[in-house]
Amino acid sequence: MILQQIINGISIGAVYALIAVGYSLVYSVLNFSNFAHGEILMIGSYIGFYALTKLGMPFWAAIALSVIGAGLVAVALEKIGYRPLRLRLAPSLYFMISAMGLSIFLQNFTIVTIGPNFRTYPDIFSTTPIEIFGLNIGRLDLIIFAITAISLVLLTWFIYKSKFGNAIRAASYNMRVASLMGINPDLIVSIVFMLAGATAGIGGILFGMKYTVYPWMGVLTIKAFIAAVVGGLGSLPGAVLGAFVLGITETFTAAYISSAFRDLFSFALMILIIVIRPGGLLGVVATEKA
Amino acid sequence: MKKVLVVFLVVLMMALSTGCAPKETASDTIKVGFVGALSGDQAVWGQADRDGLMLTVEQINADGGILGKQVEVIAYDDKGDQLESVNVTKRLINEDKVVAIIGTNSSGRNIAMAPVAEEGKVPVISTFATNPRVTVPEEGTLMKYTYRVCFIDPYSGEVTANFAWNDLGAKKAAILYEISSDYSTGVRDFFTKAWTDLGGEIVADEAFKTGDVDFRPQLTRIKEANPDVLVMPFLYKEVALSAKQARDLGIDVTMLGGDGWPSSALLEMAADAVEGSYFINHGDVDAPNVKDFRAAYNEKYNKDIEINSIMGHDAMMMLKAAIEKAGVADPVAVRDALETLQGVEVFTGVINVDPETHNPIGKAASIIKIEDGQFKFFKQFAPMK
Repeated sequence: MILQQIINGISIGAVYALIAVGYSLVYSVLNFSNFAHGEILMIGSYIGFYALTKLGMPFWAAIALSVIGAGLVAVALEKIGYRPLRLRLAPSLYFMISAMGLSIFLQNFTIVTIGPNFRTYPDIFSTTPIEIFGLNIGRLDLIIFAITAISLVLLTWFIYKSKFGNAIRAASYNMRVASLMGINPDLIVSIVFMLAGATAGIGGILFGMKYTVYPWMGVLTIKAFIAAVVGGLGSLPGAVLGAFVLGITETFTAAYISSAFRDLFSFALMILIIVIRPGGLLGVVATEKA
Repeated sequence: MKKVLVVFLVVLMMALSTGCAPKETASDTIKVGFVGALSGDQAVWGQADRDGLMLTVEQINADGGILGKQVEVIAYDDKGDQLESVNVTKRLINEDKVVAIIGTNSSGRNIAMAPVAEEGKVPVISTFATNPRVTVPEEGTLMKYTYRVCFIDPYSGEVTANFAWNDLGAKKAAILYEISSDYSTGVRDFFTKAWTDLGGEIVADEAFKTGDVDFRPQLTRIKEANPDVLVMPFLYKEVALSAKQARDLGIDVTMLGGDGWPSSALLEMAADAVEGSYFINHGDVDAPNVKDFRAAYNEKYNKDIEINSIMGHDAMMMLKAAIEKAGVADPVAVRDALETLQGVEVFTGVINVDPETHNPIGKAASIIKIEDGQFKFFKQFAPMK
């Protein structure tokens, strides 16, 4: 049973990881948490759903469409909700408020236009699990794990090897100095939101396939946000580590302590980690980032 | 149609909140309030409740109304949120001055609304709040203004236990329940009691929280316990997700559910995962006496009827009988009439209100089986005492 529970935990952690990375990316450059990230995921999930059902696209095309769509929505939201604040050098609290406003707006907009119903992705992959030594591994979970891994590798490559990645890392140290060196801050911010949106798009389509699609599904990303904080906000490996720690902690609490106390115990542990290491598992303590 | 309604409601709310609350005109209509989840998790049922109620009122008005007056429904969305339920209940009582309120479909929200109704002295008839504490918060007390048209959870738990024991021949039961729901924890407690009284064994008792989407850790434990039957007293969205995940993990036991299951959305979402399962319901949408109403419903809303639409109808018929008995559309007089209401025939049986508990005595549960992707009537149980 312990192996099965580890697999359960990893399968939850993989989805958290993709979402947590999006939170961390934005935080690393702009020092605030984009609380509308969950809604970008929701939009990505709906795009994927309609691409598969209404347009009858193949799976890979649907992922591509969802990635591009969610990325563009994220960039548009930045231009509408955050750029005006950025230009006026508003404190990060204002960004958070703007983000929450966007989040509530998008949820309600979806409820009014698309409707409050739950939608289910068509079964693209066989749902019969693979059985190895009495363990049941869902095919979908394997695919989700693979897609998450590929996305994270690509993202890491982009951030650490490409020219734009260099610029993003420079901007994450100090946006002002970076812009003095000839880096266009608007462009960097747009790229960061594009990347965060793209991961949310993938997250949305995977989440939709694993569970279901509905207008307020973005609320669930709050757990991924917490994972990002525990891992160290602003650190990409930290976000991934935090996500798996949270996924496995949740699963093990439910399995070996009590399913009724799952959130109570796992979040108490998260608080404990933060108290002991305020910068998160892999983050650096930076007091101005609050 | 649904979208138009939502937009209309939003506009209506804005109009009302800008301070021009409608002045009470000469009371040539009987105003009935409705509270339900028209958006959110439970919107499928809230909308069905409302649509059933609206159609019933339309039919009543076409037949000359109640006491010669036309009936007007004022419907508000509580988004499935207890706080909103309380807010709109206050508005219905204080601003709209309704005679009675119909709704909601959940115990938690009705428990929150009950004290407000008590204070405002306006009766509330719930369609689907099955927890005993909705009308009797604790032994020896009674919410004077709260009524319901459905049977209650102890009965539901008992029927579930008896069905699993006698009809399915199960000996070991596993329970998965929603710890943050008054309804789910209620059925779980009553099932556990009835089951152990029968001599059955509870081999797993696992909880989750409202809004959870992953049930694998709990289900893995349930699988280890190797039960004969899996009892799942919660609502269709979680049923669909957990049933799918249970099948993914290789759990193939019979699943047994409650009145949170019946919704076409369940069949859409869960597909094969719930095939062969049974659940307890308040009635049967295929029953012969519902046929005409169902046809009218299909035509008006262009969608198939849900059991909630029938409960919305039944609640309105119960209210109509009470207003006629009172002879006047006054909230307090209607409440008094409701308390001793007897022998009102509705779609789901005969309503005899127990003055001690406000529960409708004599309502019977149906067992529905999911077969070939459809809800099929399986058997009827002896009525609630």
